[in-house]
Amino acid sequence: MKKHSYWIFAVVIISAMILAACQQTGGGTDTVDWSKVVPATEITFWHQHSGDRETELLKVVDEFNATNEYGITLTAEYAGGYGDIFTKMLPILNTPEVPDVVVAYQNQAATYQLADALWDMNEIIDDPTWGMPQADQDDFFPGFFAQDVYPTFGNARLGLPPNRSMEVLYYNMDWLNELGYDAPPATPEEFKEMACAAATTPYSGATAEGSIGYELSIDASRFASWTFAFGGNVFSVDDNQFTYDDPAAIEAWQFVQSLFADGCATLVTESYGDQTDFGAGKLLFTVGSSSGLPYYDTAVAEGANFNWSVAALPHTGDPVQNIYGASVSIPKSTPERQLAAWIWLKYYTSPDPQAAWAKASMYFPTRASVADQMTDFFATNPAYATAFDMLEYGIAEPNVPGYDFVRDEIEAVMAAIVDNPTLDVATTLTDFNEVANGILADQLAQIEPAAE
Amino acid sequence: MARTTSPLGESTKPQRGIKWLKQREQRTGFLYILPAFIIIFLFGLFPIVYSFYMSMFNWRVRRGSFVGLGHYFDIFGDLTGFLMFLAGIGLFVLAYNVWNKAFRSVKAGGFPARLLASVILIAGGFVLTSGWGRMIAAGNSNFLNSLIITLYYALGTVPLEIILGMVLAYILFQNIKGKEIFRMIYFLPYITPTVSTAVVFQIIFSSRETSIANMVVGFFGMDPLKWRFEPNPVSELLGLNLQGFLAGPSLALVTIILFGIWTYVGYNAVIFLAGLGNIPQEVYEAAEIDGANRFHMFRYITMPLLSPVTFYLSLVAFIGTFKAFNHIYVLRVPSAQDSVITASIRIFDSFYKANMYGVATSQAIVLFLVILGLTLVQNKIMGERVFYG
Repeated sequence: MKKHSYWIFAVVIISAMILAACQQTGGGTDTVDWSKVVPATEITFWHQHSGDRETELLKVVDEFNATNEYGITLTAEYAGGYGDIFTKMLPILNTPEVPDVVVAYQNQAATYQLADALWDMNEIIDDPTWGMPQADQDDFFPGFFAQDVYPTFGNARLGLPPNRSMEVLYYNMDWLNELGYDAPPATPEEFKEMACAAATTPYSGATAEGSIGYELSIDASRFASWTFAFGGNVFSVDDNQFTYDDPAAIEAWQFVQSLFADGCATLVTESYGDQTDFGAGKLLFTVGSSSGLPYYDTAVAEGANFNWSVAALPHTGDPVQNIYGASVSIPKSTPERQLAAWIWLKYYTSPDPQAAWAKASMYFPTRASVADQMTDFFATNPAYATAFDMLEYGIAEPNVPGYDFVRDEIEAVMAAIVDNPTLDVATTLTDFNEVANGILADQLAQIEPAAE
Repeated sequence: MARTTSPLGESTKPQRGIKWLKQREQRTGFLYILPAFIIIFLFGLFPIVYSFYMSMFNWRVRRGSFVGLGHYFDIFGDLTGFLMFLAGIGLFVLAYNVWNKAFRSVKAGGFPARLLASVILIAGGFVLTSGWGRMIAAGNSNFLNSLIITLYYALGTVPLEIILGMVLAYILFQNIKGKEIFRMIYFLPYITPTVSTAVVFQIIFSSRETSIANMVVGFFGMDPLKWRFEPNPVSELLGLNLQGFLAGPSLALVTIILFGIWTYVGYNAVIFLAGLGNIPQEVYEAAEIDGANRFHMFRYITMPLLSPVTFYLSLVAFIGTFKAFNHIYVLRVPSAQDSVITASIRIFDSFYKANMYGVATSQAIVLFLVILGLTLVQNKIMGERVFYG
């Protein structure tokens, strides 16, 4: 009997703990009369900026803390990279442990929302007391502003964009001149011709051995960028389905595959290895985020010191640029905390802090009026100005839950395509599209009432 | 309550006092172990039980519908295949027993017993691989393949790190100058943070022509290799045309195996050194008088008397390789595709990338059972061969 009683005791304890752990501690907000809510005075912001960018961000935060009329003190905490923040957030969703403001890519925000864990800002954006005036809303670049509205979740607004960046083609102008070209490539054919020429004709001023036309980093955004440039897309908003089997995607990746097969391209083999090779003058082209502009600038200055700039990716029709960037979301907590977070977000995305932040971080501002304050900056940073002018061609990657997983999977497919010149790209991408849509369907199946 | 009396009619008060003392002793004992029990329960047992609980639900970011053992069926896919796989393992166990025991007492039975055991072994192999094939076809092939990758990793890492550790320890045990410094140097990889050393390995095994690894192979007249970026099996690179499990690990996984060996050789050497210190010197002296040379002494004295240490290290190493995560996570690249995705990495991806908590926890429970099963097998096979003096 005694032995039995020990077992019963153990089972009771375990059951009690499981039941306790299953309690949902989240605080949702039902209908709130926002005019009566007083903002909280202490809030936290989890971000991913480190180094100089963090220093600049903290200046914006200090200014907010010193000037806001509600006595709100925002503590900005570096919480790791985007992935770190995502993994930290998942276990604490709907608990009081969540930060008041958090950086999140659109697909990450969508994943949080599977647990109904983010605040739909539509609740306050037009509020007469606390909302954002229509003129301010209209000042955002429409594409950027719409990125945080999620059709999957009934058009909920789950974030506001403080900055954006864009995938651009970095090129070595001096080397192009040596090869007999006077402008960067506008079409895939030109791109291939130049890359292949560079692979066999090293740049005279290179500070490292070797000669590479193009280096591809295996990254899902690169897949999307090349697909966009060929006039396709990886997702259909109308059908709410991935379209990795889009004919343009197939054509784009047959093209990239041929670059590798012909020895005109290689893979990036180390973290930021393309940046290093580009700076050393051994790499003619690379595709990467415009947020890397200051780092490329440093790499070239410390390396082969040549003339370089950025351009749109070689395209088959009009240029189409991949624009991305994390937005800032407000996890559900209490009306007071959410309101304080909203007040910070309004400030963070207003023109003056935007201009200061854009200049310091080299990200693009998300509001049109900010450009007026940046004329001098454009003059001293011509590559940034060139990229800024391409914003009108921007489209975004999908903002659906599970895209993180799909990204990992497509990266393996990309690697397989460039690794094997005989691999049938059409079949591979058609098969993969089924996998991707399977993942999406599985994720969307979660948008149902959770078990109580 | 009836009051008991002794045969002399006296009260049993002293006996009750002893009983009370014993109870108090028990309570005191429980109080002593209570803190440890709470800690082990909270951080050791409860997570396992809770993981099993999660695995019974369609649990992603939040708890969904109850699916019972559905996730487990999804992993194994085909019940017949799973049962065939278990039957194959059963036949292996039977073959082992037949080989070892069945005919041990029959003088002339050695050969028939071994023949029978071989037949059972072949049958077991056939049944097991057939079952596995069915499971791969119908179940979660990604996860099942990750178990194979994990097995490659364990088989590639454990034997080599044990052998090299023992050899190094034996050398360091001799009277060589500066052996303390060598001991420290060999131990350094174990105490250096894994992530930082893995990053150094990234650079050493870069696919650049100028990487250290490629300069070394270039010295031997070989073309540069892709190392961490090479998803194809090493056997294929060597020109062999092997298929399936026999094709072996990819070069990318071999790079990670090298890291694993490098990290743990020094640790094993230090543990072996402690074991060597416990072997009485008289045994070696007696063997030397009997004419044994160094190899004989190592083979017939050192190795058997080190077998408890070897057993411990191999057991812990095998479990460790099945749970290995940090350095594999750092060293993996998309170009290596699935060839370096071990079970623990797959579970991590299911959890954090796919947000399929129920699936991830069911995979973790399966991995736990696999480790448990392999540990039992290892315990049985190696435990019988350990010589405790």
